[in-house]
Amino acid sequence: MSSKLSIDLHKLAKFTNIVIPIIAILFFLAGIYLSFYFHFITVTFIFLTVINIFYLNVQTHHSLLRNFGILGQGRYMLESIGPELRQYLFANDTEERPFNREERSEVYRKAQNIDSAFSFGSQGNFDATEIKLRHSLFPANKSKMKPFSVTFGEERGIANTYTIKRPVIISAMSYGALGKPAVQALARGAKMAGIPMNTGEGGYPKYHLAEGVDLIFQMGTAKFGVRNEDGSLDDDKLRDLANKDQIKMIEVKFSQGAKPGKGGLLPKEKITDEIAELRNVPKGKDVVSPTHHLECKDLESTVQFIKKVQDVSQLPVGIKMCVGSFKEVRTLIREMKSQNIFPDYISVDGSEGGTGAAPKAFMDNVGVPLYPALHNMQNILVEEGVRDKLKLMAAGKLINAGKMLVAMSLGADACYTARGFMLALGCIQALQCGNNTCPVGITTHDPMLQKGLVPDEKAVRVKNYIENLEHDFIELLTATGCESPRGLTSENLYVPEGTNLAACIHQLESASSN
Amino acid sequence: MKKVAWILQIICALILLQTLYFKFSAHVDSVQLFTELKMEPNGRILIGVLELIAGILLIIPGSAAYGAILATGLMTGAVIGHITVLGFADERLQLGLLAIAVLVMSISILVIRRTEIPIIGKVLAKRISN
Repeated sequence: MSSKLSIDLHKLAKFTNIVIPIIAILFFLAGIYLSFYFHFITVTFIFLTVINIFYLNVQTHHSLLRNFGILGQGRYMLESIGPELRQYLFANDTEERPFNREERSEVYRKAQNIDSAFSFGSQGNFDATEIKLRHSLFPANKSKMKPFSVTFGEERGIANTYTIKRPVIISAMSYGALGKPAVQALARGAKMAGIPMNTGEGGYPKYHLAEGVDLIFQMGTAKFGVRNEDGSLDDDKLRDLANKDQIKMIEVKFSQGAKPGKGGLLPKEKITDEIAELRNVPKGKDVVSPTHHLECKDLESTVQFIKKVQDVSQLPVGIKMCVGSFKEVRTLIREMKSQNIFPDYISVDGSEGGTGAAPKAFMDNVGVPLYPALHNMQNILVEEGVRDKLKLMAAGKLINAGKMLVAMSLGADACYTARGFMLALGCIQALQCGNNTCPVGITTHDPMLQKGLVPDEKAVRVKNYIENLEHDFIELLTATGCESPRGLTSENLYVPEGTNLAACIHQLESASSN
Repeated sequence: MKKVAWILQIICALILLQTLYFKFSAHVDSVQLFTELKMEPNGRILIGVLELIAGILLIIPGSAAYGAILATGLMTGAVIGHITVLGFADERLQLGLLAIAVLVMSISILVIRRTEIPIIGKVLAKRISN
């Protein structure tokens, strides 16, 4: 790689380190003999000299700075704006994670009610990684489509059943993870569109409640808002909360896709006085929820706990979990069967699920991804003969109608999405949710940043997103020839060999043929 | 330590701001100083404006480190002025010592608030925590 025009960075750095103090001296002389104004430059170069001496001889933390001095700083400076540069200039439309530009802009367009027609062809790969819906030669008649309706709690015949009329629900995001205007915008949008919203495990859902939207109260492993001092369930607090008109369902969170096996996490940067009060936690320390509910020691007590929450709240009660072991899930379902106690729904959270903050080790390495998890869950429920005892929900990157229909073909009755709604609020995927520095004011409590998020404006986008999502959903459903999502099965999917869903389907097939 | 920094910031700001009266009102002594530096009158006003900015930045919580950097630079210049041109004789001694005092104080502020210094603050933060 040697060429006459190449720059030898090693030599350049050495040259710079020698030249900086020399320049300082030269300007010092110029300041004395020519004009005192030159001392402005003298002072600047004295500063640079001091910094350089510090980098080269004093600090020991950065090897690069110790070897090359101030020029080495250039690397760190450029590196620090790398994510922005890549996103603005260099990353192509389909390569970013967790959502690429294609996926994000689809949500933006829906949220802003912009036509979704594209030209020339898909940006997809059409290779062994993409699951497609199978359309039918005979699409369903739109006028005969059954209106979407799922009633939670009907299996138990309770008085307070809850019916959703649209296939999507705003997934669990607490006040704490989200800032106040974001909660307000989501709640207002959800109310306009008539869908419920999950409160997340953020304690007493003050701002969620203030907007009059239907709520699913999530009880995390720390039971914020309904806990005793020792972390067990405070029946009275739960009863009081469940008695509120707006609280329609209770969700007991066993685990979360982004950090299964680990409790919720709220970084100390995001704990304001108010949040500390709502959750009853100290300020200045990361809040880490326990790994599991105190009451759930084994299968029996876990099922009993579900029953207890059902009895206390008198509402439909679901459980949210990321699947780890299918065997374990089966034993849990069998325990439910033997006690004849079932949650009103199970929400399967794929390990690709989102989070405000999770240890990277957990985010990247633990849990079964949504599609195989959901497919297995559905099969276990069917095989155990209890599929009609509860509803199944799915969560994990279901931000467009296509993915939602895949989830429904695999057994889901309804879909959760959180990040889809964040994108609708204007999320630019800056990946700073845990730092309190969200540049668009969604996951921050900094009033200067929250200024950018005007709840009334964004609420309309939330509503638009829901409506356009549903529009696509119905169009696609029609194409499959089914009049209702309940008619969908995994037969409606084209699952290429090589996907983990395909492997999972084969596993089940061979298991059932044995 | 933050409290010490705040006390130093306020003292620095007061010293910087009180000399402005002499600079902006073209006080005879001030004019004399800047004449000797061959900066009269533009330099006197320029330095005055910079000192005003430094003083204000020092007493705003979020920008104290920036103010301290500016003050350090200005006082380095002042000390250079005393060494090379103005000298330390008679009442110049008091002025020179005042400049050195502000220089020392603003460097102390920078040491206390090292993690807030732009760009290099991160390097310093890591070094200290290890």
